[in-house]
Amino acid sequence: MHPFEYIRATDVRQAVATAAAGPAAAFLAGGTTQVDLMKDGVLAPQVLIDITRLPLRGVTAGGGVLRVGALTTMEELAADPVVAQRLPVVRESLLLAASPQLRNMATVAGNLLQRTRCRYYRDLSCACNKRAPGSGCGALDGHHRMHAILGTSEHCIATHASDLAVALVALDAVVHVHGAGGERAVPLTGFYRTPGEDPSVENALEPGELITSVEVPLLPEGARSGYLKVRDRASYEFALASAAVALVITDGVTRDARVALGGLATVPWRSRAAEEVLRGAPVTPEACAAAAEAALSGASPRSGNAFKVKLGKRTVARALSLVAGLPG
Amino acid sequence: MHPDDRGVPAEVQLRLRVNGVLRELWLDPRVTLLDALRERLGLTGAKKGCDQGACGACTVLADGRRVLSCLMLAVTCEGRDITTIEGLGQDGGLHPVQRAFIACDAFQCGFCTPGQILSAVALLAEGRAGPDDQVREFMSGNICRCGAYPNIVAAIRMAAGDPGRAPF
Amino acid sequence: MTTATETARLVGADVDRVDGPSKVTGAARYPADFGFEKLAHAVLVQSTVAAGRIRRIATAAAEAAPGVLTVITHRNAPRLARAPGGLGIGPPAPLQDDRVVHHGQYIAVVVAQTLEQAVAAARLVEADYETVEPLLDLDDPRAERVDNAAGRDVSRGDVAAGLAAAEVIVAATYTTPVQTNNPLGLFATIASWDGDLLTVHDSTQGPAFARTALAVAFGLPETSVRVLAPFVGGAFGAGLRTWPHVVLAALAARVVGRPVKLVLSRAQMFTSVGYRPPTVQHLKVGARRTGELVAIDHQGIEPTAVEDDYAESLTRATAVLYDCPNLSGRTRQVRLNVACPTWMRGPGEAPGVFALECALDELACELGLDPIELRLRNYAEVHPQTGRPWSSKALRACYEEGAERFGWARRTPEPRSMSNGPFLVGYGMASAYYGYVQAPCQARASLGLDGVAVVRSAATDIGPGTYTVMTQVAADALGLPLERVRFELGDSTMPPAPLQGGSGLTAALSSAVHTACRELLRVFVDLAASSPASPLYGCGAQDVTAAGGRISPVQASGPLPGETYTDILARHELAELSADGASARRRDLDAEPGIFAAKFAEVEVDPDLGLVRVRRFVAAVDGGRILNPKTAASQIIGGTAGGIGMALLEQAVSDPRTGRIANATFGDYLVAVNADVPDIDVIFVGEPDPMNPIGVKGIGEVAIVGVAPAIANAVFHATGQRIRSLPITVEQLL
Repeated sequence: MHPFEYIRATDVRQAVATAAAGPAAAFLAGGTTQVDLMKDGVLAPQVLIDITRLPLRGVTAGGGVLRVGALTTMEELAADPVVAQRLPVVRESLLLAASPQLRNMATVAGNLLQRTRCRYYRDLSCACNKRAPGSGCGALDGHHRMHAILGTSEHCIATHASDLAVALVALDAVVHVHGAGGERAVPLTGFYRTPGEDPSVENALEPGELITSVEVPLLPEGARSGYLKVRDRASYEFALASAAVALVITDGVTRDARVALGGLATVPWRSRAAEEVLRGAPVTPEACAAAAEAALSGASPRSGNAFKVKLGKRTVARALSLVAGLPG
Repeated sequence: MHPDDRGVPAEVQLRLRVNGVLRELWLDPRVTLLDALRERLGLTGAKKGCDQGACGACTVLADGRRVLSCLMLAVTCEGRDITTIEGLGQDGGLHPVQRAFIACDAFQCGFCTPGQILSAVALLAEGRAGPDDQVREFMSGNICRCGAYPNIVAAIRMAAGDPGRAPF
Repeated sequence: MTTATETARLVGADVDRVDGPSKVTGAARYPADFGFEKLAHAVLVQSTVAAGRIRRIATAAAEAAPGVLTVITHRNAPRLARAPGGLGIGPPAPLQDDRVVHHGQYIAVVVAQTLEQAVAAARLVEADYETVEPLLDLDDPRAERVDNAAGRDVSRGDVAAGLAAAEVIVAATYTTPVQTNNPLGLFATIASWDGDLLTVHDSTQGPAFARTALAVAFGLPETSVRVLAPFVGGAFGAGLRTWPHVVLAALAARVVGRPVKLVLSRAQMFTSVGYRPPTVQHLKVGARRTGELVAIDHQGIEPTAVEDDYAESLTRATAVLYDCPNLSGRTRQVRLNVACPTWMRGPGEAPGVFALECALDELACELGLDPIELRLRNYAEVHPQTGRPWSSKALRACYEEGAERFGWARRTPEPRSMSNGPFLVGYGMASAYYGYVQAPCQARASLGLDGVAVVRSAATDIGPGTYTVMTQVAADALGLPLERVRFELGDSTMPPAPLQGGSGLTAALSSAVHTACRELLRVFVDLAASSPASPLYGCGAQDVTAAGGRISPVQASGPLPGETYTDILARHELAELSADGASARRRDLDAEPGIFAAKFAEVEVDPDLGLVRVRRFVAAVDGGRILNPKTAASQIIGGTAGGIGMALLEQAVSDPRTGRIANATFGDYLVAVNADVPDIDVIFVGEPDPMNPIGVKGIGEVAIVGVAPAIANAVFHATGQRIRSLPITVEQLL
């Protein structure tokens, strides 16, 4: 690990000011991404600002909205009774992720900001346009079984690995950000950046900005939701494909639908096309299949991950079917 | 504390409570909690299996919750209560989970065992010793390459007070 | 094993592991756990190309980095001899020239005061290469081919004629990928010199072999080297060789004049301590319509490193498992610019039996025969190659009792005929075999005034329970309670023992321990018998029984009180008595040994998503005498978990042009986690085997053999899809 100066932040303004003031600085929360990548040499901040003592923890609900402090851990959020009752898709996306130990360390904001698992990104000996713009992409004709088929560019096909982000993107969550220029709110659906021409830009944060909280609108009473994660082994693995789904159904007809995909795209992938297919239509296996088709439209697979097109469609269809309570 | 001219990180002072004892250390901020425990405090029960949060061998308890010490910088643990396997015994004897692991042969080479035991202790405290599938799921963050998993589940059952499932 | 005067009390009992308390409290010390004054830390730098030469290596920045003590490369490394490979010649000595022969080859070692400093400095070493086109594919026409390198190609009869005359033929190709041992314990070496005396803590499966390897590497007499390994964090074959990093740790310690600790990274565990090589296996099985096998042609191809001679035969089990008159089993090695493969649990047989047992399942299907019935119709009553009887073989009982426990009778033969709700259910089975190995072994037993017997041998216990079962054997042989016996291992200064591999340790060591203990008893009896004051006056070893710590003369009416070992020592004013024991494979038996098992798997398949989960597993094993059913069952359970990984999850993949392992982490290379492994039911059948006085056959390897084909056959039964390429992944089933 590259040497760095360690600073413990005492309040948000000081943390943000420190980050803006000096040389390359990074925030340290749970550390499950930050420490990991610093050990690999992928990240090498000169200043590390420990924000774990900032008062940004806790979950409150009111006015139809759940407010989650940025430093709330994954386990804490999963255990919240309002989440369990009103947002099963969030609870499931958390409990199907990582391991209990990691969930006790990782924070909600850190989870949203986690970096890709791509082994070309994480290995300094490999070409990677995200880590070193212009150096190429080793995954394109290397091993890309876990890589993205949606939102890709010729410069990067790395998958976004967060499960929670997929659920929150489906629910239209909003991140609150504190920067040198003040506070702002960014809808999560507009927060992430696909790789495009410059894969090194992953989201809307300006340098030195800190996420302080996440707001999640509660689903209406009577809504059903769930998260389906498909992976090779039974646990402790990132998704081959996943789907966050929420449905409001009355008299067998879908009144409202939310669909987002994970494991398949370079960013948490909200599919309004799938939602369109479902809205106003009777809840049937055919509707689920049609929504799944729509969700994967525009996919551009490569030889090593072409199976994800079929798997992705079946995952979406299955998730919809399970949440809708369809038989079989 | 600023790095000196050669970029050498100055050491940072840390007060760490480990197994109930307050320890004072000056540490390179790059040192992980795992390496601080092993190399500086002689507590080698926590093991380095991957050093990247993918195996669970480094599991310790921080304020009673199970965490991976390889991904924690020691300097961030100021004021936290760390429990390692060495701190688990009760009144000079073995903790019920330790006894159950022996009775159920829940280990072979023993390398993952301290992490498994602390994880199991936490699982019991979390109230997750329900059906076998729940125990398996919530112990899946601790890899055992020797494959002692079924016996680990049996040991947890035994420690949870359910003697009917012990294999022997 | 037991004579009239020896009672088996502990052998055969479910004794808790004697090293249990030290393992569950964290007191057990693995190689990286030992502390030393002024310990320095070494980190390795690896090549990023697979073939060529190092044109330039720049170390100045690393040398100037904080805390760095030295940087060693091929430019300043001293001459080192090639350390013998334990089995085979082993990899070349490290840092001896500028050649690069595989991706990840060590090109420098950086030593610093702290681990953090060494890691940071290692990143500052830069190398340029002059590359050549590497040999990375089994099909590369430029690569050298070596046939029958393991010397175990086998044939009988006329396989071409047999196939020509067969009424039914199944011909198929099966492939298995690179799989890595990946024990949880990162391999670690701590080396320290005292003048010309080298002491090493190491993750070895054979301290005496590691001692020899280091002595050769450094040109030292063996008496100058001591290797210690009281606990090792798993190995599964990777510790059967002394790898270059061990030599480099010792070299670093010599150069800096301080003890040096070198712990491999998890990524290095994929490239630098061996792995199971990938295989391509062509099977042609010919039979009569009634199921009798008439010919088997089994050809396997696998890579080896350009500079090594590691070879494993893929067809040993094929040659002996069935009564088939015409047979050809051949293995070809292809030399590639890859890291040295090595033994990984069940070497040879695990991949070879996968191919064979899947082919037989295909044949059973083709013939409309139950898979077990097919095996029974071809049961080899005698060794099919030599015609000699088996020393013991309970494979029939494995099939029958295993099938009964599993509920095989519930199986409806049609694929896709069984289901559980939305899931397809499949039942599959496979035979398993591993060869019996027994190398010479020695042990020494001592008993002193504290009344505790100490038995020693330079073996290891990488997890099977060696500490425990040898304590049991010794306790019974000496008539002592368990708590008054201590078995010590893991020190090359102890009497030599074989490598802990190939299922060869338990038979050899238990025999040597038994012999040493019975000899010690005889020494005590002879001494006691010389004194009229002893209740054993005039007795011979055959006249006494030892139990509860007392040696007593036996009479028709039962044993007399006798006296204790310490009584005898005290009378003769001795502090301790010792005796040695040795064992070797007996050559006087006109019989062939073998270890057998039958494996049964139930899988559930989600047909829509292509997901396979193993729901139940039964293993019926003929391992001869089982010294400790609890620890032996754990061996089988562990091998089954490894087999689940082999069948469904594990494959190391490499980049096409560089040979870089592209998934060298525990997050990307998938081993089974707790949720992947169901309850595993283990049955032991059979009887003690006459090959050694204890009757043990050794089960560590057969534990994994047959698991993958049982699962693959179950997947076929569930889905109707025959997957011939491991691991069985989602994309193969979708």
